[in-house]
Parts: sequence; C-alpha cells; structure tokens
Amino acid sequence: MPMLTINGRSMSVDAANDTPLLWAIREQLQMTGTKFGCGAGLCGACTVHVNGEAVRSCQTMVGDVAGKKITTIEGLSAKGDHPLQKAWVAEQVPQCGYCQSGQIMQAASLLAKNANPTKEEVVAHMDGNLCRCMTYSRIQKAIMRAATEMRTASAAGNERRPT
Amino acid sequence: MNQHVKNVTPETTDLSRRSFLVGTAATGLMLGYAGVPGIGEALAAAHANFEPSVWYAIAPDGLVTVTCGKADMGQHIASTMAQIVCEELGAKWSDMRVNLASNDPKFNDPVLGAQLTGGSWSTMMNFDAMSRAGAAGRMALTEGAAAAMGVPAAELVVRDSVISHPKSKKKMSFAEIVRSGKATKTFTPDELKAIKLKTPDQYTMIGVSVPQLDIPSKTNGTAKYGIDVMIPGMAYGAVVTPPVRYGATVKSVDDSDAKKVPGFIKAVTLDDKTQTTTGWVVAVANTYANAKKAAAALKVSYDGGPNAKVSSQSLLDEAKRLQKLDDSGQFFVKDGDPAAARGTAAKVLEAEYTTSINIHAPMEPMNATAEFKGDILHIYSGNQFATRSGAIAAGAAGIDPKFVVMHQMWLGGGFGRRLDADMMVPAVQAAKAVGKPVKVIYTRENDMTMDFSRPLTYQKVKAGVDGDGKLVALSHDVVSAWPTQRWGLPDFLTPSVDKKGPLDSLTVNGSDFFYTVPNHHVRAIKNEMAHNATPSGQLRSVAPGWTFWAVESMIDEIAVAAGKDPAQYRISLLDGAGKNDGGAQRLRNTLLAAMGLAGYGTKKLPKGEGMGVACVSSQERATASWTACVAHVAVAPSGEVSVKKLTVATDVGTQVHPDNIRAQVEGAALWGLSLAMYEKATLKDGGIEQTNFDGYTPLRMSQMPEVAVTVIANGEMATGVGEPAVTVVAPAIGNAIFNASGARVRALPITAEAVKGAMKA
Repeated sequence: MPMLTINGRSMSVDAANDTPLLWAIREQLQMTGTKFGCGAGLCGACTVHVNGEAVRSCQTMVGDVAGKKITTIEGLSAKGDHPLQKAWVAEQVPQCGYCQSGQIMQAASLLAKNANPTKEEVVAHMDGNLCRCMTYSRIQKAIMRAATEMRTASAAGNERRPT
Repeated sequence: MNQHVKNVTPETTDLSRRSFLVGTAATGLMLGYAGVPGIGEALAAAHANFEPSVWYAIAPDGLVTVTCGKADMGQHIASTMAQIVCEELGAKWSDMRVNLASNDPKFNDPVLGAQLTGGSWSTMMNFDAMSRAGAAGRMALTEGAAAAMGVPAAELVVRDSVISHPKSKKKMSFAEIVRSGKATKTFTPDELKAIKLKTPDQYTMIGVSVPQLDIPSKTNGTAKYGIDVMIPGMAYGAVVTPPVRYGATVKSVDDSDAKKVPGFIKAVTLDDKTQTTTGWVVAVANTYANAKKAAAALKVSYDGGPNAKVSSQSLLDEAKRLQKLDDSGQFFVKDGDPAAARGTAAKVLEAEYTTSINIHAPMEPMNATAEFKGDILHIYSGNQFATRSGAIAAGAAGIDPKFVVMHQMWLGGGFGRRLDADMMVPAVQAAKAVGKPVKVIYTRENDMTMDFSRPLTYQKVKAGVDGDGKLVALSHDVVSAWPTQRWGLPDFLTPSVDKKGPLDSLTVNGSDFFYTVPNHHVRAIKNEMAHNATPSGQLRSVAPGWTFWAVESMIDEIAVAAGKDPAQYRISLLDGAGKNDGGAQRLRNTLLAAMGLAGYGTKKLPKGEGMGVACVSSQERATASWTACVAHVAVAPSGEVSVKKLTVATDVGTQVHPDNIRAQVEGAALWGLSLAMYEKATLKDGGIEQTNFDGYTPLRMSQMPEVAVTVIANGEMATGVGEPAVTVVAPAIGNAIFNASGARVRALPITAEAVKGAMKA
C-alpha cells in the first residue's frame, strides 16, 4: 500500500498507484476539504500542494507522490488561521464555498513565492480556478489583504518598530 | 403522488401562482408553528432546550440554533434567517448557530407551503415568520425572567442575550432563563399574528453586515456538502449515461470487463418509473475510483429513442414553425389589439431574438447518498426542492414518500440545478440492489450532458410606433421548453388569459413588464420537441433571463427608430399608469440611479466605445427587485467586444445584510455577463456536445470587468437579490454594442462574428 506524507503525517492508503490523489485523500483519508470539480484539471477545485507547488489532485496519481510532501486545506495552517484564511473571512469571500479550498491552496502557492504580487500576477496565477458563484473580485481583494499581512508580519520579525 | 405536495394546494379558486404566493400566507404561518403544542412537556424536563417555535431552539448554554428550511447554496440564507430571528429575539450574534432542516413538513416555507428554494423568494417570504418567531421567543424569555426575578415584565430590557432590570440592577442571561425552566409562554397562531414587530427605526441587526455564520467553515475544509457524506459500510456509484439526453433505453449491459476491476460490486440498470432519467446504468464498487473504472469498462448498448436525431438547429426550426401558427400557445398578456394598432402605426418593427441552451454546472457535481434503515430511506444530498425530491426518491424506491427522510447538506452551488432530483434515482436503486448505502457522484461529463438546462429559446417581437414615437403596440411570442410543467405540479402553472389551459409562467415572466403599452400581447408557446429532447430546468433567474433579452433589446430598437435616447425613452414608458403604478416609478428611479452612477450621457467616450442601458422587474411582477444596468463596452473593428464596466442599481426595499446583497448582485451580474458572452451548449444527435469546462466555458477571473453596484433601500418590503441582476446584463451589453458600433445583435451568446456581421459596411 502506498505511503503518503500528508499534512506532516505519514499514512498508508488502500489504493492502487493509478488512483487519483484526490480520491485517496477524500475517501481513504476522509479529508473532504479537497473537492472534486471536473476530473480533468480544468477547474482547480481539487488543488493541493505537492512539495509546495499547487497541483490538481485529480490529475496526480497516488503512485507519483509517494515520499513527497503533500498539503491539503486541512493542513495549510494549524487552526485555520493562515493569512489567506483570515483574509477570506475578513473579505467574506465564499458564497457556496465549494471551490474555495482550491482557491486558497492555489493562492497560497503564489504568496509563498511572491508576497507582493501585482493584480496581473494574481489574475494569471488564479485564472485556472473557476468560481461558479463568481466571487472573483473578493478573491483578489483577499489575496491582496493576505499579502499585506504576510509582508507586515515578516517585516515585524526582521525590523524594530517604534512602540 | 406526494403527500407533501398536497400542502401547496391553495384554497382559493384562482390558481394563478401570484395569488397562490400571497393567498396561502395565513395557512403557512400556522404550519410554521405546528411545534407549539407540547412545548410545556418539553420544558418540564430539566435543562431542556427552549424551543419557542419550530424555527429555533435555545440550549441551556444560551446558544441559539436556527433551523433553516431553505437550501443554502451560497446565498447565506441560513445566516440571513438567523439574523432576522436574532433581531427580534434580542440575542447576541456570536450566540447564533444554524442548522439545515430535514424534509419534515413542519419546516415548510411559511408562504409556499413546501420546501422549495428559488425565485429569490426566501427573504421576502420568511421575513415575517422569522421575525415573529424571534419576537415570540423574546416575549417568552422576558416573562420567564420577570417571574424568576420577581419584577414586572414591562420593566425589563432585552439586549445581547441578557435580560436586565435597570431599576434593581438584576439581570439574567438567556442561558440562565432557559435553565430556570421559567420560559413557558406559548403562542397560538392568532397571538403570533398579533405581535407588534419592531419598526425599521428600531432595528439593530437588520441592515448590519454581520459575519456570515457559514463562512469560516468554507475556508478550512470543514463545511460538509452532499459529496462529503460518509456512511459506514457504504459503496460508491458511478453512472453511465447514454449519448442521448433523454429518451434512450438500455438494450444490453456487458459487465465482463467491469468484473475484472478490483472492488467492483454490481452494474445496476435503472428502472426509473419517475421518468426522471432514461437509459442510465450505475457501476457500483468499493471506492469511487474503482466505480469509475468499472463504469468505463461496462459495454452498454442503447436504443437511442425518439430524440436521437434532434439537434439545436431542429429545435430552432421547430420553434419558428410553431411561432408562425396563429393558434399556437396560450396568452399570458392580452391587452388591447396590437395587430390592429400596428395597422395604423407610423412605424412597424419586427425582430427575432434567440438564446442558446445553457448548463448550470455548479462546482459540486450532482450527487446523492441513499441508505435504507428499517422502513426508512435516508437521502443525503444538497437539494433545493426537498418536498418533490423526496417524492422522486420514494418513487425510485417504490415506497410511500412519508418514509423518506431528506438530510440537507450545504450546496456546492445550486442556481436552480438542485431543484431537480435525478441524482436520487441512481443512488436509491443502487443502494437497493446491493443492499448497502451507496453514494453516487456524477462525473463532470455526466453533470453537463444530463443537465436540466436552460432551454433554447426563440422569441418574435412586433412593435408599432405612432407619429410621435410613442409605443402603441407590442406582440411578443416566446417559444421554449416548459421547465416548470415538467414538475407535474399543477399549482405551479398559471391559467392562460385566453382560457386555453394552464401555461408555464416560468417561460414568460418578465414579458409582463411595467412599461405602459396600450396594446400588448404575450403568447407562451411550448416547444414540445425541445421539451422532450432537452428536459429543461430553472436556471438562475429562469424566464426573465430570456424575456428581458428580447424586451430590453426591442425597446432599444424602438427608441432608436423613434429617434430618442434609449434611457429617456424607457423613462417615458415608465409613467406608472394603471396597473403599473408603483412598480414603474421604482424601476424608473433605479434606472436613473444606474445612469447617474455610470455617468450615462455625461461621460465622453472614445470612438468604438459605447454605453447601453436595460432595466428589469425580475423575477416576477409580484416579487420584483427593480434592477437597472448600464454596460460600458468597447467594440473592435473585428467585432471583438470588451466589456469594460457594468454598473448595476437595484431597489431591494429593505436590506437585511448589505454586504451580502452586494455579493449576490455582483455574482448575478457576472452570471449575466457569462451567459451573454461565454456560455453556449449545443445539441447534436440528441446529446449535449459540451462535456466539461473546456467546451462549456463560464467566466474566469481574467474576463471579469469592473462591476459597480448600488443598492436602493427605500423601506419597502425586503425583496430577493440572487437573480434579478442576471437578467439585466445581456440586453445592456447588446444595447451598448449598438451604441458603440451600430451593430444590433439578437442572439445569445454574443459572438464577434455576429457583431462584425451586423456592422454596417
């Protein structure tokens, strides 16, 4: 049985190597925050991180990620308080919410590399993630808000600030 | 066929849906409080919950859990219901929780008398009942507190889940009062009706954008949708659907290869007496991945049935044929004599407008989990019409609907798709066949090709204008499949004006506009071929999504022909005469607001750019949110259209949650844009050709223009916002394209080729 390193834990899954990672996560590991949307890499609802890169788990086979570091929405932060998750609440982004795990995971892979993206960079990075409720403008705002928080937090760690 | 549905039968002899909606309010109110008798015994138990009405309970820890009978598909209606209760109850917002109702009739909509979520009706139809429920709870708690403290109830103040007596400085929290067991007052329906509710100036919650209760769970993966349901011992089903949308039958199923798939359990050919599905087979296996493998390995042969040769073109040809017949259809509006008026008119205009087949495609593909436990069939699925869907599930199981319990889940998008119950059938029959719970999940391909789509529509409009440019005659024929007739519930149909039997008003709503036109006819014509080949459904905004495309484009064409500014021309038609009094003025004001916000007529635009307006009374005359849009577009010589900005104004009467209204209106406007420019499905050989998001392409982030929303809250009754803005955008864009380029487009979606072709050489 393949072993997966997921959200910092090693777990064996009862699934063939050619099983999409999506279904192993959802059914074998019963972590249902990662969603099935299209099964073809066209909508982004199933986005997770593999070694820090955003990938579509419906197009990623279990056999290809053994030994790699997988992160799902459940493991993005310990208490659901990643700057993006806080920004998603602050901007009241979700409507139906179904695509939002994927949106947040996709956005997190951008901010991990670039905490000061332009609007154009955000759009280019997020354009593969469909939101049928069309919450796009709030998604953009929330990413910018989280980016600001991440820059402020890292600045706070590095610089002395007047008290 | 369904005992629940019997509840919706109105007592009045006028079965028109409008009077039905209003006329059953009183009955509904009583149904909503069926839980009141017996509350005394419930309270006698120590530390029991306090349940002032079926709609909520206050636990001994003070948490208030509101049970929402509406489907929450992202419109945050559960949170909205809690907010309305909270206002009158006097609870602290952080004490509020929500719970999704089962299909128990006691949770039926107090006005509709059924569990059905649609039409942007929920806030409007539940505001009063939730307010009264909240107020009743506050009064009961206040009496309880008065008894416990030994002070007069009239001297008590309720605020933030605490009842205090300022004179003695005594106070009790809701939790303490519930634990004291002193809150025992019950209310008869008449007493409930007599409660004096707050006036808007006393509101502290209504009109405040409180944090939506469901949002945190939708940022950390914990919100549970139908697809997330896990039941011990369950199997998974993948459906194999035929190449023809409707009417195929299975000739044979060869499962020899499927049997080689590990975990494969059984192939189940559906025997669907509800006729919701035709020719479906379910491959059941131990995991969904294996079920999909098995489904792919099944060799199914079909008889394509009567619709196997039908295409989009044949549906359109048939629509045109039907429209030309004098005796087609039934009249929805019949004022005056447009044909005679056109005979004496100075100018006559004629145009035809079409819309394509459109697919709902919510992000969560259709799914349902069925479990037989003893005599009871449990269904877990996010659904917008539990009353009917429970009956379909029962029909699929061959049992009485009263033995079906529907467990509502969060909906990963609804948009009308989840009014239908097709997903119940494979789940129920597979669970029955394999003797264990089964979760059926559609692939995206199943979901798109088996959608209950927005039907292809064809509309013909003929107008007559007098010498002063006044619109004196309008004949409007609407040819489409009839989505609501398909439900088989006569109460949802509307009598025709010409007494030719009921018509499906969800194909013509909107055509009965608020413009004053002395001679005005609207015919609703059922396209039987489309009805059979492409069973249609209610797609976000339903009829106004196509009727206003025709009406608002035609009004523009008439204004241009009369040499008038299209916005000013609309204002002159919105004179509020006769039956249009009230609505017309609100629509006029909304249009003016949008014009002002957009800088219509004041902003100088470069060559190749233009603005267009449209204004609508969606969803229906009786339930309208007055909505206007100014679209600003740039049109390239190639015909390529770039939508630069949408300015939307909407009059919602009363705002419960301003931020949510903006979110809904913006989402709806972008839906309107998506349908206007990017979404098209086609039928070939009886099957939908688009199977995933590569062929069917809703708006993406990079295609989003600037959207400005302004909300008018003038103190009238709260109305709905989920849909109206969908309907106003396409005609505003079409009119803007004309303004920018002189090209008149009459088919949705709008293509560069059509724009270029319509440009004057």
